[in-house]
Amino acid sequence: MSEAYFPVGPGLGLEENFLSLDDILMSQEKLPGRAESTLPPLTFALGQGVSTGDSIPEGSKLEIPLWLAKGLYESKRRIISVELPKIYKEAWRTVFSADASVVDLHKMGPYYYRFGSQLLNFDNPENPEIAQTILQTFISRFRRIMDSSQNAYNEDASALVARLDELERALFRAGQKELNDFQCWEKGQASQITASSLVQNYGKRKFTDMDG
Amino acid sequence: MEPAEAEFLAEKELVTIVPNFSLDRIHLIGGDLGPFNPGLPVEVPVWLAINLKQRQKCRLIPPEWMDVEKLEEIRDQERKEDTFTPMPSPYYMELTKLLLNYASDNIPKADEIRTLVKDTWDTRIAKLRLSADSFVRQQEAHAKLDNLTLMEINTTGTFLTQALNHMYKLRTNLQPGESAHSQDF
Repeated sequence: MSEAYFPVGPGLGLEENFLSLDDILMSQEKLPGRAESTLPPLTFALGQGVSTGDSIPEGSKLEIPLWLAKGLYESKRRIISVELPKIYKEAWRTVFSADASVVDLHKMGPYYYRFGSQLLNFDNPENPEIAQTILQTFISRFRRIMDSSQNAYNEDASALVARLDELERALFRAGQKELNDFQCWEKGQASQITASSLVQNYGKRKFTDMDG
Repeated sequence: MEPAEAEFLAEKELVTIVPNFSLDRIHLIGGDLGPFNPGLPVEVPVWLAINLKQRQKCRLIPPEWMDVEKLEEIRDQERKEDTFTPMPSPYYMELTKLLLNYASDNIPKADEIRTLVKDTWDTRIAKLRLSADSFVRQQEAHAKLDNLTLMEINTTGTFLTQALNHMYKLRTNLQPGESAHSQDF
């Protein structure tokens, strides 16, 4: 009602949500892997660093985007093998279990939860530990997100969200909206009729079009 | 839901007014109102009471609970108990704001009432936060929140349900899917 449009939310878990822009962005994230057989040139997907025109020899190290890794990975045919990004490895899991709230999840890959859930698609012996760590991380960071999002009124929130992962940022925004709506009502501004954000953006759009 | 919508629902609550005009019973879709006689108290919905008050056609009699002593008792009770105590009205916050904004001259000690209600509100919101946190921490599957009012649920509803949604999905990750070889539980 108050939103101009409803974006499709990300599918958190083993399945991506096909229509979610967030999930499409997330599937571009790269993960370390190794070619288990000779691969045709994949420069378009792997980016620079791989010379054009040559096929990829067996055993070379690769940085594979998630969408490609999911397509190529098959435990029987062994086209590629996939390693864990370091943030999901044992050493970092220990850090998360010590105190998850001090970690800068945005720097460590802005899609910590969703990317971690996707990693469970690859048969890795450490999968149960990864899933457990992700869940515990969310639980222990929950209180801080809730408190900061519902108390920071009329403040610069950039410092508060700087260390949050994309999923947590969406949560933070939901909390902020509720806080702002309530404060707005309490001050009596809710009874004033304002232009829809859609209309306001439309005006801006036209202005820039005329300029360019 | 937005606070304004909760306020809209609160406007259906009945309050007592003393009109200073006379009018026959009026028939509305929501029911009959009146008759209005000068000096005789009559029950009307809040929206009508506010409208009449703004046109200085009536005097408002505050609801029974809108009284400093009663509210002090409610506030102390709320602070003492760990769980939510029943509120005198499911729309106490909305009604306090509406009536105090438009008819504060008919309500004795309006400022004190405002502070008391706000204190009670703050205590309840703090409790709500605390229980939400322990709910998530202990990974409970369900919780019972009695005596919460609509406005209170509104302040944290979207946030909490979204967070619980995420948590549920992360928790299903723990269980190996159909493709996995063993399911030993």
